[in-house]
Parts: sequence; C-alpha cells; structure tokens
Amino acid sequence: MECAHIPKIRYADFSQEFNQKVSRMRIPAAGSMELTFRCNLRCKHCYISHGHSGIAGERELNLSEIQYIMDEIVDEGCLWFLLTGGEPLLRRDFQDIYLYAKKKGLLITLFTNGTMITPRVADFLAEWLPFSVELTLYGHTQETYEKVTGIPGSHARCRHGIELLIDRGVPLKLKTMVLTLNQHELWDMKIFAEDLKLDFRYDGIINPGIEDSKSPLSMRLPPEDFVELERIDEARSERLSKMFNERAGIKDQSRKLYRCLAGINGFHIDPYGKLSLCMLERKPEYDLRNGSFHEGWNTAIPKLREKEYGNGFRCIQCDLRLACSQCPAMSQLENKNPAIPVEYVCQVTQLRAKTFREKFTDNYQRVR
Amino acid sequence: MISLDQKYSKDSSIISREIAGDIILVPIRRNVGDLESIYTLNETAAFAWKLIDGVMTIEGIRDQIVSVYDVETEQAEKDIIELISKLINIGAVQRV
Repeated sequence: MECAHIPKIRYADFSQEFNQKVSRMRIPAAGSMELTFRCNLRCKHCYISHGHSGIAGERELNLSEIQYIMDEIVDEGCLWFLLTGGEPLLRRDFQDIYLYAKKKGLLITLFTNGTMITPRVADFLAEWLPFSVELTLYGHTQETYEKVTGIPGSHARCRHGIELLIDRGVPLKLKTMVLTLNQHELWDMKIFAEDLKLDFRYDGIINPGIEDSKSPLSMRLPPEDFVELERIDEARSERLSKMFNERAGIKDQSRKLYRCLAGINGFHIDPYGKLSLCMLERKPEYDLRNGSFHEGWNTAIPKLREKEYGNGFRCIQCDLRLACSQCPAMSQLENKNPAIPVEYVCQVTQLRAKTFREKFTDNYQRVR
Repeated sequence: MISLDQKYSKDSSIISREIAGDIILVPIRRNVGDLESIYTLNETAAFAWKLIDGVMTIEGIRDQIVSVYDVETEQAEKDIIELISKLINIGAVQRV
C-alpha cells in the first residue's frame, strides 16, 4: 500500500499535469462566465457595445439561475472559473454570486476594470481570496486612459482600486490592450506594474464586436508597429523567438476546425445562460435555461469539435500555422467564415516570423 | 497528540473536490493554505479523507484501511496519524 499522504505540489506543476488529465478525459475543468454585458466604461475598442442598452440587464441570469448552473458545472468537474463581463462588479448581487462559487470550491479569477473596487469590495475579496484578480489598464496617464474609456474620473477610480487591492494582499495582475490611442504609454504601464511587483501582460489583437460592429478594429495598431513593440520588449522577444524556432517550419495538415482546448476542457457561458465553446465562438450556442449543462457539454459541444475545414483552406499550406494565433472564432467574427483567416493576424505572424526567426539565427549559429 | 479514540471532522474553510479521480483540497478562507501551492490527496489518503466525518474514530478509519488495502495494522495506524497531523496543520480537519 502506498502510504497515505498529502502531496503539497507547486501550483504550476499541478496545473500542467491536471490540465493534461482533464483534457484526455474531456472534463470541463476550465470555464468562464460573463455575469453581465453592462459596463460603466465606454471603451472604444470593446467588443460588447450592446451591453450599454437598457435592456441588457433584464435578460441576465438571476442569482438562483447562476447558482443552479454553478452546481451543474461543479458536478461535471469544473475547477477554474473566470468571472467576467462587461464589468462584473456592476451586478448588485456580485458578492452573493462570488461567494457561492467560492463555497463550491471553484478557483476564481475575476476580470475587472477596477473602477468599482471600493474599500468594502476590497475587504470582501481579501476575506474570500480569489485565485487572481486581473485588472485592465487603458492608459498610464489620465488623459489617455479616459480617451479610451470615455468616462471622466475613471482613471483615478481605477488607480484607487489597485491601491485598495494591493493594501489588502489580494492577488492581482495588470494587463492592457495595446491600441492606437494608448500605444505610446505601453512601457509606462509596464513599469507601473513592475514597480508594484505585479505581473503585466498585453495583447494587440483587437476583435470586432460580437454584434457585428467593426468599429473596434479602428483601434488596431498597424502590424509593423505592434511587432516592433514586441521586438523591443526583451522578455516577449525571447519567448517569441523560442516559439518560432520550435514551431515554425513544421507542417500541420490537420483539417480540424478547432485545435485549442475549447470544448475539450474549456467552455463559456454568457449573461443570458448561453453555453458556447469560448468567449469568441458564441454560435452555435446551447441555452442553459432550456437544458442542462451536462446535456450541452456532452451533446451540443462535441458536435462543434468535429467540424473540419473544407477544400481551399489556405492555412493548411502555411509553415507558420503552429506559431500563429489564427483561430476559427476570430475568422467567424471578422470574415463571417471560420475558414477565411484574419488578414491582420496573418500579417502579424509573418512579421513575427521575419523578426524573431532572424533574431534567433542572428544570435545562434545553425549547426546544419 | 493524536490517539486512536479521537474523532475528527472536516473544516468548512476547506472544500474537497473530486475531479478526474483526484481529490483536491481548495482553501476558501484567507490564511488557509497557500495560493502558490495546492494540496492533493493520493489514493489512500483520499480513501481515509472520505471516512473523516466527525463520527468515526481514528481506529475505525485505520481498520477500514486495513480491510481494503494490503497493509499491516501498525503501518496503517502510523500513516493515518501522520495524515491527520498534516490535515490539522493545513486547517482541513478539526477534533470533535
């Protein structure tokens, strides 16, 4: 008999091993839920603009519906659970929802803009610690931040929220979307986070609105400018060099539409109870108000995963496919066709290959 | 000092989750556990964990282990006492 003991393992090791296991067994261990589409900010690049309408709140799942869904997802094996929005703290019953999820044994990550973190909210989160809070910065200076958010006073409220969370030791990470409006302050935001000893990450792939709005795309940096930012970021540059060196040049002939873990161990639920593969791929959806999570996960979702690209799918010829962040959900959003690659993503990948493969070969002699 | 006649119950500040055959202990209150690490139970510990209910004594749990696993009583007793001691340290159980 193996002696009874409790291995205390590093979270990173646990996460990797457990992820592989639940993926093999197709257990929905990693879920996300938008508690609302409503938001107190009016960000220029936001992909959910219809949350500003007055009726957005009326259709939302109520507390007991959310609790019922949480019971179901926990029964199916969910462990990591992301609460997001809109701005999730706008919900008056946020603390009830959050506490219920905690007491079910879910490891909660909370996405927020930070502007609604009051001392009371911070005290609550400090008592019932989340796995992590991820707070989005929209700029470093007040001028830039509020040019993006459109709301006077939001910069100060965000900074105050950050202070409150740090003071109470709530695990916090900062991030941003790099936009035409805030790109000049990216490094200031990074330094701000580093000075506070907080993790910081950024992304530049802006998506169209989920209700067909193309306006967020005007906030995208030209691909050359975005990859140049990555090039001068030493840590990111190193990661990309490593990735391109490992993955570029390998042909991937898979015709499977979805190659990520969405629908394998991940799922998404919107504020109205619609279950989908992920936050970007919302159609088709399964209505949890008219069916169970078990049914949706085991019947509707697997059908999506079986889909394949038809003939003429151009990425199958590309030797950068394994290093590219192209995904069918983004294609569907932007081109209304999951098989037509997003041109912007393609350009970023080509530029990355040029920049980082060269960088790698500049620094190392090829042995063959 | 943990003795055979003692009974323990699970603390409400830790939730145990059984996923993919693993038992994972998830702390829900501040100062319980450590966010950098996570506690999982191996098969034997998971078997014992399920028997901790505030009613069964340590001796009773030991006997259950001996009846299911190929192990000497003395060894099983040593193991269950060590397990309870660790569970106390991380705040997962308390003496009834």
